[in-house]
Amino acid sequence: MTWRLALLLALLGPVIPWSQSRIDRRAGAFRSQEEVLYLWSGTQVKRLFPGFEGLLADIYWLRTVQYFGGQRLFAREKRFELLRPLIEISTELDPRLEIAYRYGAIFLSEAPPAGAGRPREGIEVLEKGTRHLPSSWRLRQDLGFFQFIYLHDAQGAAKTLEEAARIPGAAFWLRTMAADLLAKGGERASSRRMWQQMYDQGEEGIIKENARVRLQILDSRDAADRLAALVKEVEDRTGRRPQRLAELREGGLWAGPLADAAGVPFGYDVSTGRVTIALESPMWRPE
Amino acid sequence: MGGRLSRLRAVAANTFRETVRERVLYNLVFFAILMTLSGLLLGQLSIRQDEKIIKDIGLAAMDLFGLLIAVFIGVGLVSKEIERRSLYPLLAKPITRGEFYLGKFAGLVFTLLVNLAVMTAGLYLTLLATGRRLDPGLLAAVYPIFLGLVLVVAFAMLFSTLTSSALASIFTVGVVVAGRFTDVVRNMREVAPGVPSWLVETLYLALPNFRNFDFKDRVAYGDPVSPSILAWATVYGAAYVAVVLALGLASFRSRDFQ
Repeated sequence: MTWRLALLLALLGPVIPWSQSRIDRRAGAFRSQEEVLYLWSGTQVKRLFPGFEGLLADIYWLRTVQYFGGQRLFAREKRFELLRPLIEISTELDPRLEIAYRYGAIFLSEAPPAGAGRPREGIEVLEKGTRHLPSSWRLRQDLGFFQFIYLHDAQGAAKTLEEAARIPGAAFWLRTMAADLLAKGGERASSRRMWQQMYDQGEEGIIKENARVRLQILDSRDAADRLAALVKEVEDRTGRRPQRLAELREGGLWAGPLADAAGVPFGYDVSTGRVTIALESPMWRPE
Repeated sequence: MGGRLSRLRAVAANTFRETVRERVLYNLVFFAILMTLSGLLLGQLSIRQDEKIIKDIGLAAMDLFGLLIAVFIGVGLVSKEIERRSLYPLLAKPITRGEFYLGKFAGLVFTLLVNLAVMTAGLYLTLLATGRRLDPGLLAAVYPIFLGLVLVVAFAMLFSTLTSSALASIFTVGVVVAGRFTDVVRNMREVAPGVPSWLVETLYLALPNFRNFDFKDRVAYGDPVSPSILAWATVYGAAYVAVVLALGLASFRSRDFQ
């Protein structure tokens, strides 16, 4: 009897991984799971599991991270429609979960395909965070940055950074950055300073990585602008607009790469002389 | 007095041995430790929340699995003895019903204490394995969890003297759930303004407030728990346990086992 059972196990055991691999091959390597939220409010979840709010907040936060990662990397149509409710539930269950406000805001604000492309919602999440954690200058700093970067609201951003600067323990440069914003408005340099600060402050992870990419995007935009200026200069000097960007290099006018930080060649419109980051580049973002 | 104490200790020791032999206990402890260890993996997926997640999972496992042990073993302590008819020869011996009842209670409380100690050690080991600081503040959440579980055992035993094991389990879980919703009871007048305030207040004060034993969130964030609040939680727990034990004892004494 025992040897029969052993034989059965030996024969049927390998069928499990074999059939799984067949299913995976037919469904695609990464099947996005069918995402459903059965409970749409943190209050409902709280009422169902009293005394375990902290644990549930962790579980919902893990689900948020997995959902975001799954959509960003594997989903064909990146919709992110559950992102906001997941962040809301996590933060309702644990209003002190600072990480959920900070990362949640990035997930929501970044333009597709890197994020949900809903910066207003990202800012709402940060505003909620500042209400629940009034002593967190980092949350208020992020709110100020997002107001400037995504909404181009220099006045609002400066006011928020001023508020952040008044919180005990806040970084010393917040006040000067607020003053800069009021003085210079929407300059790219202010944006660069903000992302540089996020990069310098951030630990290894999504915030730092996002800031690094943002800095690369700004570098690429600067390079594109310099190339456009060169095109104009050549046109003014010779009366002829270069037909290809490579002509600038061949003429010894440009020594740098003709591609953005991701290695994708810049777009060049010969009819207008505009140089842009190519639409297909991961460096492309709406201006 | 010494004889009474030694008889009580004998029942408690016997109950401890008996509960330790229960397969359900091993299963629950196994899952509790597994859950704590799963914090290692889940923490990695959480983006910089690993320490908090390990603490949250570890403390929730103690609370949840401790509750399951307290309920499912607690309701069986007395009722099993009655069902198996092993209670009759015991009561024929020079041992009072009170000594038997309290001995059973003390035995299970000791089992829970040992379980919590094992789970706490597991949590500390998990933190150690991830290179985290061994935070003594965690004990400020573990101790009140223990107090709450002692109260649950008292309730489980009270109900088991009144009704069947299945119903006693349901009633005990019901009391625990109601006790975790005391804030809802207190705010009842906001949704039902017609309810007299004295009724709300009486209900609020009469229900065991299990929130008094919940400091998990505070401890997970490293916030201090003041010794005075722990002392008051101890007073509250001890008083409530004494009342429920007295009721259980009265019910057990009044039962006719003929």
